[in-house]
Amino acid sequence: MNLITGKHLSRRTLLRGVGASLALPFLDAMTPAFAGSTAPGRVKPPVRLSFVYVPNGIMMDAWTPKTTGKDFELTRILKPLEPFRNDMFVLSGLNDHQATPMEDGAGDHARAGASYLTGVRPKHTAGADVRGGISADQIAAQALGSRTRVASLELGCDDSRTVGNCDSGYSCAYANSISWRTPTMPMPAEVNPRIVFERLFGTADLTLDPATRSRRALYRRSILDLVHNDTKKLVRTLGASDRRKIDEYLTAIQEIERRITRAEKEDHELLPQMEKPAGIPTGFDEYLKLMYDLQVLAFQTDTTRITTLMVGREGSNRVYPEIGIPDPHHPLTHHRNNPEWIEKVTKINTFHAELFAYYLAKLKATPDGDGNLLDHTMIVYGSGLSDGNQHLHADLPVLLVGCGDGSLKPGRHIAYTPGTPMTNLYLTVLDRAGVRPESIGDSTGKVQHLTDMG
Amino acid sequence: MTDKPSRRTLAGIPLISATIPVVCLALASQIAARPAQKAVPVPKFNTLVRPFFAEHCLSCHSSQFSSGGLNLEPFQKSDSIAKNSHTWESIVQKVRGGEMPPPGSPRPPAAQVKSVTDLIQGEIDRVQKQIKPEAGRVTARRLNRAEYNNSVRDLLGVDLRPADDFPQDDSGYGFDNIGDVLSLSPVLMEKYLGAAEKVARTAIFGPEPLKSSLTQIRMPRRAGPPNPTIPMEYDHSGLTLPNAIHTSYRFPVDAEYAPRVVLTGQRAPASEPMKLGLWVDGKMVQQISYDPQGAVSFPGEPQELAGLTATFPNIRIPAGEHWIAVTMLDMYEGLPPSYGASNPSKRPEPPPRVATAAPPTNATPEQLAQQQETLQKRARQRKASLANATKLFVLEMSGPYKQTKGPSLASKKLLYTCGHRNGQHQPTCTQKILSDFARRAFRRPLRTGELAPYVRLFKLAQSQQEPFEEGLCVAIQAMLVSPNFLFRVEHDAPASASARSYPINQHELATRLSYFLWSSMPDAELMRCADARTLRNPKVLEAQVRRMLRDPKADALVENFAGQWLELRKLESIKPDLDRFPGFDEYLRLSMRRETELFTAHIVQNDGNILDFIDGNYSFVNERLARFYQIPGVVGPEFRRVDLKGTPRGGVLTQASVLTVSSYATRTSPVLRGKWILENFLNAAPPPPPPDVPAIDETKVGTSATLRQQMEEHRKKPLCASCHSKMDPLGFGLENFDAIGGWRTQDGKFPIEASGTLPSGESFTGPKELETILKKDRNAFTECLTEKLLTYGLGRGLEPYDRPTVKHITRNVAKSDYRFSRLVLEIVDSLPFQQRKGTPTL
Repeated sequence: MNLITGKHLSRRTLLRGVGASLALPFLDAMTPAFAGSTAPGRVKPPVRLSFVYVPNGIMMDAWTPKTTGKDFELTRILKPLEPFRNDMFVLSGLNDHQATPMEDGAGDHARAGASYLTGVRPKHTAGADVRGGISADQIAAQALGSRTRVASLELGCDDSRTVGNCDSGYSCAYANSISWRTPTMPMPAEVNPRIVFERLFGTADLTLDPATRSRRALYRRSILDLVHNDTKKLVRTLGASDRRKIDEYLTAIQEIERRITRAEKEDHELLPQMEKPAGIPTGFDEYLKLMYDLQVLAFQTDTTRITTLMVGREGSNRVYPEIGIPDPHHPLTHHRNNPEWIEKVTKINTFHAELFAYYLAKLKATPDGDGNLLDHTMIVYGSGLSDGNQHLHADLPVLLVGCGDGSLKPGRHIAYTPGTPMTNLYLTVLDRAGVRPESIGDSTGKVQHLTDMG
Repeated sequence: MTDKPSRRTLAGIPLISATIPVVCLALASQIAARPAQKAVPVPKFNTLVRPFFAEHCLSCHSSQFSSGGLNLEPFQKSDSIAKNSHTWESIVQKVRGGEMPPPGSPRPPAAQVKSVTDLIQGEIDRVQKQIKPEAGRVTARRLNRAEYNNSVRDLLGVDLRPADDFPQDDSGYGFDNIGDVLSLSPVLMEKYLGAAEKVARTAIFGPEPLKSSLTQIRMPRRAGPPNPTIPMEYDHSGLTLPNAIHTSYRFPVDAEYAPRVVLTGQRAPASEPMKLGLWVDGKMVQQISYDPQGAVSFPGEPQELAGLTATFPNIRIPAGEHWIAVTMLDMYEGLPPSYGASNPSKRPEPPPRVATAAPPTNATPEQLAQQQETLQKRARQRKASLANATKLFVLEMSGPYKQTKGPSLASKKLLYTCGHRNGQHQPTCTQKILSDFARRAFRRPLRTGELAPYVRLFKLAQSQQEPFEEGLCVAIQAMLVSPNFLFRVEHDAPASASARSYPINQHELATRLSYFLWSSMPDAELMRCADARTLRNPKVLEAQVRRMLRDPKADALVENFAGQWLELRKLESIKPDLDRFPGFDEYLRLSMRRETELFTAHIVQNDGNILDFIDGNYSFVNERLARFYQIPGVVGPEFRRVDLKGTPRGGVLTQASVLTVSSYATRTSPVLRGKWILENFLNAAPPPPPPDVPAIDETKVGTSATLRQQMEEHRKKPLCASCHSKMDPLGFGLENFDAIGGWRTQDGKFPIEASGTLPSGESFTGPKELETILKKDRNAFTECLTEKLLTYGLGRGLEPYDRPTVKHITRNVAKSDYRFSRLVLEIVDSLPFQQRKGTPTL
């Protein structure tokens, strides 16, 4: 039970003279790097990538606009996004092929979560040998992550400690994580806003004098050196499966050492314009808004450029009493054409879209370089299921919002050839962010028409 | 859309997707990959088994349809039994139990079923006898969150639970301690670094001074009509009244805290000050009186409470999680005399408000009397509702104040093993303290030269002119992020470069034991046994296991094993629909969970009979739960053992916790409950439904048709019947319990019908008879619990070569009167727990 509520409600702007505490307690961070300055010679703000995942599919009849091109009519679920119609693409015809049953049978939810950003069919296993692919956000993080203090941020809204069995012989890791650093390492989504904040801006005790802080930094460095060496010795004595686990540890150590090196080169002080959240708010809308706020804050301060957010884990059973729906989400999506259930699912989908509109509004209201954050961000909003009732993974609900590097021409509904892999979209999106992998999972080539006005 | 999954369109029939059978097949293929069992042609297979399958099975379980993920075509030769004995076992089970062929299909004669299944079973038994149990290899396990918290607690005497902030652990095979699944991301590594610093500094320098802050704990909306009367008898403690605040709160440090309660609602005019009680862990620790009269503008008006705050004096509370309650004491006392309640207010009662409607001018005396009565009735109603309108709204906890300073005695004892506790450390102390600590942290003797780098760290701090303790702290921090602490690494024995199994060493055994039973590091006594190499002495081992089970630390088995096995962990996230279940509140939620924990702890610590999980006719309740269960004579918040004979309850299936986690927010689900029993009691999880199955008409349930009628309609389809014929009747046996576990005899306007007939033909009515049937099949339950506990104890999924081990344990537990300790001892004694498979190549 999380009862820590309260102070996160107020979002007073705190400009503390001392600067804030830091991600690793000894890391000094930087000010909002690109805040609203148009001074000549300023660097062009970087492109940010944000992937927002909604679980259990969407009521597609109330999602897909009837016409393509510019003057499409916003459907019921998309209505809350009206203020941003010129900032977004509605994309149809994209498939998550790797989530279909094939010979793996049931487990569509687990597969949808695990393959959505990877384009790789997850291995059907409940435990040992979890294996998926590297997700688009992590491909980007590996290319761009070293430029920011935190390579990427993975957020979620379901604490899976309280989720029991996972989908049909699939490990919980699949439904819980859309982000995969390696085929065997899912990135756990952080669900507690307070911890997200601490990850971004740290927990350090700023009452310490600089001398003590620098001494402690020296110790931490030495500790990392020590365990790094120790571990290398240990690895040599181990069998293959054990070695794989300890290798994860080594990779993590190296990643942190890299971050320290990076941070030592920086001398900015960070001023997060937000009070540290106390915990998980009880109301879902408040909770999700806070998670969106944190992403905006991370982008604004250039603490990271890549985020993923799972509005719900795949197969989520969240109830939405705040909009009059006491029934769990997932069973509702198996509505079997019962109109009341369809209505409820549509309401949930619309509710999610309203909250997404909050995120977009906030990005748009945040100055960044010569424009605002939304100008320099690409957000993919979607699900690995289209029709949750029948577990379809074809013609997914997908939005792409923002202009990326400025070359995108949004404001249109584009229908791609049915069956185009979702990963083709990621190839294009990553390309606009300056990341050019040969392929992502099952991709067959970039999608077209995002930059032309066709 | 053109890309529709092909399975939907095959002959227009939605096919059940593969699930459990696939798992079985996957296991089976692993068997096949091993040196093949010697295939002996089975007599009569071709004349008896093949025709039977051709007639009854192959039309669905063909390569074309693979219903339920099972294609029987490769199973038409007798040697397939040797190759796929595990799958064959489940086939026999389904055919014998009458689940297959599904209801609606022609039923084979009983004699034929018997002869076919006996023949196959005989062959399976023969084949399985040849399977050699193997030790298997557990992957180096990272400590999970619970294990990390407990380990630093036992290592340093610091109960900070830092791992509560770590990313969640993934689980596999139903548990979150599976080595293969536990991964380590950079985010987690960052947390380890932070936690190590925090924990080490707390142990050495005392808890870091926290700034005091205010936390608001708002109760979830409590629905339900207010009590329409002023009761004569009620709970004077207020704990079970709907306006009480109950919460589980984590206090970060030993310190003083200032609890306040924000009120809302109203209280009757001129009432005496209200009495409020603060409870910590079921004991009232403070009582205050609060007078809202001062906030009243006009004497005759009710006391308006919205926004008023009653403050308790500061109270010292030890760090950790505590159950906090705030209640209104003697709720119906101190009301104005005209309210007719006991112990009325001595404050002058304001005159009753005059009736506003003037009587009709030419009213008859009867009419006047009637009008008078109506007015009086209204006044009574108004009074009753005012007397019930006092609400406790938000609990505010500010603090910490006057925090306890300095390291605790426990931490000092654990750390300063050289005997110089008061800062008078000698140069030789460094080596002694650090080597003792490292030995405990790494859970084994140190290797030559292993300590040196840590001593160098200590010296680094000294070179910075830091005090002795600071150097210690740095070295300890390093140990706490070392893989030797964070991982339970088992080293291959020198002569293990073959695939043969070998016994793990004494310290590794001690470590397996303590993480199995305590989710924590070995204590001094276990380490002594390991040092003396006596842990494999059967008497010593048994004595240690029994000692550990009696230790309070064995609560970890309840929290971590039972919490996941019985799905109790789900309870905290369940939000019953308050419009339908107005009786549900936080106190009930906390009480439900506590009941099942105490019940399980009873079996663990008193060496209970594991069959009590099915039908033990006792439980542990407090007043809240007793009222909910309609058990008379239980007063107060303390839990106590009660006898359930003569009540419809007994066993965990009838406990509100399990009944709630296996229900929807709005209604019961016999399917979910049936599935719960199959999964957790019989280890026979059904495959999930195909996505596009016909619906139950929710709107009709309880109004124009019962849930049962709806589901029976549903089950007429053979496709659905194949799974639901067993699942649903099991669930229906519990239909007398509503979605939060309350007893009921009606659902909407229909009487509850809690009877069922299982595919085997056994019939029952109500929970007790259901439990009797489950208990008849006690070996299935015992085997299920064995598999779950073995998985948890080993930290790996079970493999086909573990079957003989499971069967062996199950048999011995049955022989020992189903004692819990026997189950644990057998697991501890088993080959996979004692040994480890070598690895041919390094």
